[in-house]
Amino acid sequence: MLIRCIRSEKKKLRHSILWLACLAIPLIPAIMGTFNYLGNLQILTPGWYNLWTQETLFYADFFYAPLIGLCCAYLWRLEHREHNWNMLMTAPVPVWAVFMSKLLIAFRFLLVIQLWIGILFLISGMMIKVEGPIPAEIGLWLLRGTLAGAAIAALQLFLSMIIRSFTIPVIIALLGSIASVGITAKGFGLFSPYALMMLGMNANKAEDMLGGQFVSFLAAAAGFLLLFCLLSVVWLKKRDIRG
Amino acid sequence: MEMIVKTGSLTKSYSHKPVVDNLDMLVPTGSIYGFLGPNGAGKSTTLKMLLGLIHPQQGHIQIFGKTLDTKNRLKILQNIGSLIESPSYYGHLTGRENLEIVRTLKNAPPQEIDHVLRLVRMEDQQHKKAGHYSLGMKQRLGLAAALLGQPRLLLLDEPTNGLDPAGIQEMRELITSLPRQADMTIIVSSHLLSEIDQMATHVGIIDKGQLIFQDSLSSLHEHSRCRLHLRTTDNSGAVSALTQKGIPAMEEDDRVLLRNTDDDSVARAIRHLVYAGIGIWRVEETQMSLEDIFLKLTGKKVSL
Repeated sequence: MLIRCIRSEKKKLRHSILWLACLAIPLIPAIMGTFNYLGNLQILTPGWYNLWTQETLFYADFFYAPLIGLCCAYLWRLEHREHNWNMLMTAPVPVWAVFMSKLLIAFRFLLVIQLWIGILFLISGMMIKVEGPIPAEIGLWLLRGTLAGAAIAALQLFLSMIIRSFTIPVIIALLGSIASVGITAKGFGLFSPYALMMLGMNANKAEDMLGGQFVSFLAAAAGFLLLFCLLSVVWLKKRDIRG
Repeated sequence: MEMIVKTGSLTKSYSHKPVVDNLDMLVPTGSIYGFLGPNGAGKSTTLKMLLGLIHPQQGHIQIFGKTLDTKNRLKILQNIGSLIESPSYYGHLTGRENLEIVRTLKNAPPQEIDHVLRLVRMEDQQHKKAGHYSLGMKQRLGLAAALLGQPRLLLLDEPTNGLDPAGIQEMRELITSLPRQADMTIIVSSHLLSEIDQMATHVGIIDKGQLIFQDSLSSLHEHSRCRLHLRTTDNSGAVSALTQKGIPAMEEDDRVLLRNTDDDSVARAIRHLVYAGIGIWRVEETQMSLEDIFLKLTGKKVSL
């Protein structure tokens, strides 16, 4: 059942320009971050770590969550338009498979986005000739950012499912990210999925923000993921469908 | 008679106002069940409840002999095709790609796509984007999608709505040909009495959420008892002469309407009028139109 749903989701994405957005949008924080790094070399210690702080300052605070939100909003916009809810919900597939297939497709998008951000980081560093070895932790931080991104994807899919508007959930992701800068600074990062992503990505920090909290981080990410999946499935089961 | 759909006391209210009110629907297997009612009578809500899209507050639904609940939902949906409200489609995809999505979800064999495209006569337009289709073509695409998976039951909600006269005729022909071709039961809703009259074998009439008539189309026609009108030289004199003799009559549109239309009553009425010296120009028999029957059943005029 899940395989059938995933196949149909993939077919829905034919001729879509979503991939283009996923590749183009990360260019902005990468370029902004690189210029910021170059502009602040007097106060920053030159090196890969600080290039990371500058790029993730923009990427994690303003771009990553809204970009996930954009993908999720697009996946549900397909159903909000032209009465497709009726078709989707009268298909002989369980509602959990409907939601999970969208989540897995969204996860595929964010895997590519994260990989692309990693590549852009390397390219920008090489272009401006950053010296020293590339720190191996960056890979781990990207992976942690991806895991927290999955929790954000579940939240954004839930929001875009219940809110017919395309932009409102994306704006929520942007505001959530901005608010989470403060939440992270106050030490409550584990309680917001957006902040979780910043902790995971080690955004704007050269030393590891999680320290010994890696297990709590994993538990929080899994908890949010499960929570929003459950909420979504219950909503799909209980709610009357209005075309 | 075997029933493919049975509902009992089906009720749905929105803010304490019943939209569907204690509905007992019985759809015989193999029939084309015309679900008739004015706009806002509760037709779409009922059909959406049959599909599990809307949850009833009260009552139960049985389809294919199984109760529609969480356990049986998928088994029932596997055998239902539906076209509800307006047609569903992904505008950026071609007609064929749209059908591919539905086929994948229904797990139907790939060759069925060509078959349903042929059925709705859309082979030539299958590679155009669905967003560029006319409403008639979108409707036909919706019907093609509903036919995928060889459903035993087809639910069509106002399938001719918004179509031009040629499109309406084509859709009607298509619908009436399906039970013969594919051994299917069809529930088709409409606010047009004439349309149901042309397609259905059975009729359910819903008004303000309540089923006010449900039977075969022929039995609905039996309700249309003939009416007898007299054209006379003196209509008011005729009415008073007949009333004096205990024969119920009234003036209506420049004519005299006889209430009793059995042969004896008519013979008596004419004899009395001749004795009273009133000339009879014509004796006219008229069938009650379906609009009149609806008026009789609902007690109000609606645009049907």
